[in-house]
Amino acid sequence: MPSKYIVGRVGMFFLTIFLASTLVFFLPRLSGRDPFREKLFEEAQRGGYLEDVDEIAAALNEKYGFDRPLWQQYVVYLSEIARFDLGRSQFTFSKTNNQLLAETIGWTIGLTFVSAIVAFLIGTGMGAIMEWRRQNTGLLAAMAPFLMMSAVPYFIFGLVLLTVFWFSWLQAFDWELFPPYGAYDPTVEEWPDWTDLGFLGSALWHATLPALSIVLVSLGGWAMGMRGMMVTTKGEDYMLQAEAKGLPDKVRFYKYAIRNSLLPQLTGLALQIGLIVSGVVLVEIVFTYPGVGGLLVQSIRNSDYPLIQGIVFVLAFCTAVTTLVLDMIYPLIDPRISYSGN
Amino acid sequence: MTNATDTVTGSEPTTVEPTPWESIYRERLVPMGRYLRRNKLMAGGLSILGVIVLLVIIGHLFYQQDDRKGNPQRVSELVYAASVPPRLKPSWNPWGEYPLGTDEQGRDILAHVLIGTPKTFRIGAIAAAIGIGVGLILAFVGAYAGGWADLIVRLLVDSLIPIPGLLVLILIATSLNPGQGLTENQLAFAIAVLAWPGPARVIRSQVLVMRERGYVTMAQMSGTSALGIIFKEMMPNLAPYLLASYVAALTGAMLATIGVETLGLGDIDAPTLGAMLYWIIFTNALLKAQWWWLVPPIIVIVALFVGLFMISAGLDEVANPRLRRRV
Repeated sequence: MPSKYIVGRVGMFFLTIFLASTLVFFLPRLSGRDPFREKLFEEAQRGGYLEDVDEIAAALNEKYGFDRPLWQQYVVYLSEIARFDLGRSQFTFSKTNNQLLAETIGWTIGLTFVSAIVAFLIGTGMGAIMEWRRQNTGLLAAMAPFLMMSAVPYFIFGLVLLTVFWFSWLQAFDWELFPPYGAYDPTVEEWPDWTDLGFLGSALWHATLPALSIVLVSLGGWAMGMRGMMVTTKGEDYMLQAEAKGLPDKVRFYKYAIRNSLLPQLTGLALQIGLIVSGVVLVEIVFTYPGVGGLLVQSIRNSDYPLIQGIVFVLAFCTAVTTLVLDMIYPLIDPRISYSGN
Repeated sequence: MTNATDTVTGSEPTTVEPTPWESIYRERLVPMGRYLRRNKLMAGGLSILGVIVLLVIIGHLFYQQDDRKGNPQRVSELVYAASVPPRLKPSWNPWGEYPLGTDEQGRDILAHVLIGTPKTFRIGAIAAAIGIGVGLILAFVGAYAGGWADLIVRLLVDSLIPIPGLLVLILIATSLNPGQGLTENQLAFAIAVLAWPGPARVIRSQVLVMRERGYVTMAQMSGTSALGIIFKEMMPNLAPYLLASYVAALTGAMLATIGVETLGLGDIDAPTLGAMLYWIIFTNALLKAQWWWLVPPIIVIVALFVGLFMISAGLDEVANPRLRRRV
């Protein structure tokens, strides 16, 4: 693999990270607000008692370094980001942002990856078979609803699933088919003990609806994309040659058709990761899943800028890493890929 | 159609001057209808959106004429009905005064949906238009100027696409209008900030391909200026792509609108579809079995997105004529 390609791609990765962290730093500061002061005033009004609010706010701002010139804050921020130190939340004092994120990000990453990969594999497989066996019209008919579903946003579809598979079942049969919220059995005291089969089961059971709302929506798009690529691939000369050589159907399907059609699908996956992550955050809110979505809503409500920044940065970082990894996988799948950068 | 054939097959073959409407009908609408009969996806999508538009218009007319209850402000009855709680309990009785029921705060759900649908659509339409405009300009600048300009456009687009849009939108929203949430226009502009990289990428690659085509070379050799080539030669050929990108951008922008509002970053007291979802999720409407509150906005949103998706798939056929032969 030419080193020029790798260097360029890694450079791109750092540019994305830099742009993301710069956006994350400057956007909230455009407002010129003082969340400490506002929150203190709010609390003081609720208690009907106001004293020393300005001094307390000033002291807190000094402690967090918000009173320094912007460029100094930026330099400090960048050096912290480089060390992966996300600072402290303004309103959750007991834990650092790193701790808060460490508790939640696992659920988000797990949900995103499992459902994205499952959807990608099943969808791509369905699309490939659909085109390979053109005479199988039943499969095409089965695809139609998935295609329509692919137009609907994940979290809207999550609400639909919630209505159909939890609410309606509960009303009709007085029985919960799938749990409507949470990520594991609420009676579990020690979590997460992943070696405990009971806990694992309850986690999977709780993740079913959120994951389904991502998988079912994504399937159609992958299938149609793969089908389109297979059409082109089937027309290639090497396919004809493979058939003329008398290669078995299986070999032509897996080694020739699929492998040659897979690359644009992976590019598509790399381009979609950002969209999927945005979608998952909303799905988590619909299902009260304990990932970063809930933390994000809470921090938005508090105008907790350091925490919002931390969450957004971490999600952008994960997205960029995934894109980078996918771009590095291309050459393994398709050795013909040109690295000239065009 | 019958009128047209009558004049042609009439006993006196005098050339009857067609009225402007007639000619529009014969030259534009009939071919369009014939095309739509072939392009079933587009026809389906357009009819779904048409039904929604029709329902919204009928709903507006119905509410405008209805002057029940004292309306102290000089807002339209519909806005009034959608935003002011009539102080009822959440309830559902399809044969009562509120056909779709009332929500947790006692607001009329039908009025809420009727007024929220065009609002959501409008935000998306503005954001997508700005996004396409900026994307178009950057794509032409990049593809035409080449060199540094192209490098910058490409780097910006490539590095912005992996960043999850919704998250940047959250940052913009928290800083633009904190506390109250964004107004509709602010929301539209905030979404537009992120709506351009996608179209810019698609249009740029199209322009690059088009620049090498024979008719562009021809125009260049006959001394047409760069602007002349862009507007007279390329734009007409780019139109299907622009339309397809617009529909895609509109879908994305509406998704962003609803998403941001669902997070509570829009104006949560405004009667928009997203604000409705915000209240539904944050008051746990389903846990309280208030399904009638959830179902109407979900149906409208799903119909909107499916309709736009079908139009977009139909446009794909126009943009890529090679697809036309295939089913």
